[in-house]
Amino acid sequence: MSKKNLVITSITLTSIVLGLIISLGVLGPIPLTSIRPLGLFYALFMANRNITIEVFPLIVNPGNFWAASTEAITAILWDYRGLDTLFETSVFFFAIIGSIALFRFTEKEEHEIRKKTHENHASEGKYLGLSLITKTITKIILFTIIVVSAAIALHGQLTPGGGFQGGSAFAVAPLLAIAALSRFYLDDIGFKKNTMLLLRTMGLLIIALLAIIPVVAGIGSWQAYIMQNQPKEWAIIQLFPPKGLGVLLGSLVYYNIAELLAVGAGFTIIFILLSIPEEFYKKIIEKEGVEHG
Amino acid sequence: MEVILAIAFYIGLALVVIGAISDLIGALGMLRFPNFYVRLHAATIGAIGGAVYPLIGVALMSPSLTSLGTYRWYLMGASLVTALFIAMAAPTGSHALARAAHRAKVVEVYPKVVDHLEEDGK
Repeated sequence: MSKKNLVITSITLTSIVLGLIISLGVLGPIPLTSIRPLGLFYALFMANRNITIEVFPLIVNPGNFWAASTEAITAILWDYRGLDTLFETSVFFFAIIGSIALFRFTEKEEHEIRKKTHENHASEGKYLGLSLITKTITKIILFTIIVVSAAIALHGQLTPGGGFQGGSAFAVAPLLAIAALSRFYLDDIGFKKNTMLLLRTMGLLIIALLAIIPVVAGIGSWQAYIMQNQPKEWAIIQLFPPKGLGVLLGSLVYYNIAELLAVGAGFTIIFILLSIPEEFYKKIIEKEGVEHG
Repeated sequence: MEVILAIAFYIGLALVVIGAISDLIGALGMLRFPNFYVRLHAATIGAIGGAVYPLIGVALMSPSLTSLGTYRWYLMGASLVTALFIAMAAPTGSHALARAAHRAKVVEVYPKVVDHLEEDGK
């Protein structure tokens, strides 16, 4: 038996034996079926309904058990750790601002880069992008990536996912386009740097406004919450749709859409900037250094 | 109607089995084939035969799975769409890989019978 086969056999055997051992309960107790009510408790808890009265009559304290979201992760994120997420978004905001500042080009310089890259490719007799097969399929895939990223963001209040994840998925589209179709294709379909900057600023503005609106509306009364997701029964300000409207509750939907815009457009800007050939932007930056220094 | 569903179920089952066999063949090919390009072929057997066929099989089986309720239609739709996209993306991916490897000359074509791409490039 060769060495390779030995390794493969031993890995297979180990996994089978480990599976057997775990399922026989040797490594530790397997959760009993009697623990299931705990899962049920969490599920109902997240459903935001006062089912605690019906299912767990002993721990009833209506109003105290309340997760403010139909989905566990977002419940924790937006109503318990909302401010943390706000600062995460800020970090991302400043990171992108920094990158844009580093790649500072005037409109004229950008035009120059575009022209030079085109000339370069023409002089070497190369065409832009990969083969025709790859280009065609990439165009189809691009469309689906954008649709899927929108779906991830718009389902964020129900399932794991949300704006940042949707935006990250969205960012794959420009990256793929740059690899397979060249960055000029992005320009042609409207993924320009300044358009993306506008979209991103719009998303961040919506987030900031949504976060602050409950507080502004709550001036004069004491109970208002920054980044309020769902209406709180004890808060006077009931900003977002009240309970009973099903799954589209809370401000989370709007946050997710705005975050999709901000993150997706932010990553797109970075990829567009990084795809500028180094020889060109280095030249421009050097020229600037000579002029001013 | 039930007969049609039953036939679709068994065709689907057969497709899933074909998928499992293709995966096995693909895995064997990955281990046994001599060079990068032929191994890429084995990988694509795993992607098309081992993923697209079983997904279509699942789509054919799902209408019979009444225990899933309405979710069986979600299952069917998702399987079909995924199958379609794998069928488009997997060959494109291996095409791009093979082309890139050939153009960059990082992989020697050996054993070689004929290499038209190389002859064209000369």
